[in-house]
Amino acid sequence: MRRILSSIRDGHGFDILLVAFPLGFLFLMAGLPLIYNAVMSFQEVDMFSLGTFSRPFVGLKNYRDLFAQPETWPILYNTLVFVVGSIAGQFLIGFGLALFFWVNFPGASWLRGLFLVSWVMPGLVVGAVWNWILSGDFGVLNFLLRESGIISGNIFWRSDPQYSLYAVIIANIWLGTAFNMILLSVGLSAIPGDLYEAAELDGANAWQRFWTITLPMMRSSIGAIIALGLIFTLQQFDLFAAITSGGPNNSSNVTQYWAWELSFRQYDFAKGATISVIMIVFVMFASVVYVRSTRHEVRG
Amino acid sequence: MSERTHNRVMLALAILLAGIYLFPLYWMYITALKSGSEMFATPPSFWPAAPRWNTFAEVWQSRQMGRFLWNSLVIAIGATTLIAVLGVGCAYVLARYRNVWVDIGLFLVLMLQVLPASLMVTPIFVGFSQLGVLDYPRLAVVVAIAAKSMPFFVILVRATFMAVPQELEEAALVDGNSRIGAFVNIVLPLARNGILVSAILIFMQAFGEFVYSKSMIQGIELQPASVGLNSFMGPNTNEWNNIMAFATIYVTPILAVFVLLQRRIVSGLTSGALK
Repeated sequence: MRRILSSIRDGHGFDILLVAFPLGFLFLMAGLPLIYNAVMSFQEVDMFSLGTFSRPFVGLKNYRDLFAQPETWPILYNTLVFVVGSIAGQFLIGFGLALFFWVNFPGASWLRGLFLVSWVMPGLVVGAVWNWILSGDFGVLNFLLRESGIISGNIFWRSDPQYSLYAVIIANIWLGTAFNMILLSVGLSAIPGDLYEAAELDGANAWQRFWTITLPMMRSSIGAIIALGLIFTLQQFDLFAAITSGGPNNSSNVTQYWAWELSFRQYDFAKGATISVIMIVFVMFASVVYVRSTRHEVRG
Repeated sequence: MSERTHNRVMLALAILLAGIYLFPLYWMYITALKSGSEMFATPPSFWPAAPRWNTFAEVWQSRQMGRFLWNSLVIAIGATTLIAVLGVGCAYVLARYRNVWVDIGLFLVLMLQVLPASLMVTPIFVGFSQLGVLDYPRLAVVVAIAAKSMPFFVILVRATFMAVPQELEEAALVDGNSRIGAFVNIVLPLARNGILVSAILIFMQAFGEFVYSKSMIQGIELQPASVGLNSFMGPNTNEWNNIMAFATIYVTPILAVFVLLQRRIVSGLTSGALK
């Protein structure tokens, strides 16, 4: 006992104590649910068996049922469109802004930081604001598009199945652009300036310098940011809840919202768990890519 | 001279870009000040003709925002405290050593960071309801948020601890301090700013949290403002000025803190997220 106490005071026992509680907590509250989730996806869960652990195992039935449902493939496709659209928009606009603010001028870093308000706002507030901006008859976006001659009639962003998914994508691009920009700025500022001086002496123009220096030097940052973008996009839930609720008729539904809907709207917890398992495997894969691309930076 | 014009042009452009980007925020504030008829005018007015400040007090009263914000505050304070108490030590150990175990721990923490809340809420809800934790819904939400956000906190704070020179701690140990003494008296004070900034970020996230609260808190008297805002926005609502007033009251304190601490938050965020 005294050995343990003195190890806590003076040796590695201290470290183990510090790390044991948080990791234990994380295991209980994130690891176990993860396992439980996988178990439930092989069980039959209904309102009556919700309170008990002994539920009948049904093998792969939940998975088979899930893929037999007509809305499954459209929703998976929506998820793909949502992810690709959001990441492309966030990254391109974010990269453009980062390049602009890279030119040093007084006030640049402060103004750049101001963009992050989109990221610290509660997702529900962002969703509410965009819900109003995208409103069909009185939305200000429709007004601006009409005045600039891009559209002739109002677009019913939230209720037209052709546009509802894009309504959420627009809001999500706005939400994530600032974060992309800040991280890309960090990557840009790490490029040594003498590379550009040397290239300039050799007569390379701005376009050539961008393609031969900036992009190659940014490769690992870009990889990390796209992987992070994938992770954040698949976590996006609040905007769906605030703007379209997945509707109309699932036209803007994505897996992470659908899983929640199945569990908490239709009380089909087994199906909700099944989708969760599929998506979590996918997210884990993305995070391995992310961890790998930041790895040498982690080790510094 | 040309340097100065260049700077001015760039600054003007930057302000223009920021203005375009922050337009949704402006629109929220402006709509909150408009009257019911002005809100639906075509063309929309970009400056309220007669700002109605009463809307805020009315919405505060009729939607019982005091209670909603109090619940948000309770949840955010609870989650931040739990995360800080558990996360600081974990981050310290993960920053101090370089070996396989630390790599594995770091990898697990990073993996947990990416689990979407809307997918994790199903097993957590079922498990909590079996264990009876759902009888204390706010506590359940606090614990769930803590499990979700702690990895992010650990990553950010770890970067702060990496910047604390280890020689200082070793010197304190040589001078006869215990490990606990050196940690509390030397390392923690040096990392204080980074820990504070990370805690503020976590607090902001928890203050706006939605998925767990929506799923686990049934009673309206315990729901936070995010759920309150969600139930305010029915499918066919036309009270947009009131909804924007709700959103304004909800978000303005967060924005104020962010603008005040902007430089520190941005640098804390960037040091942890990529390095």
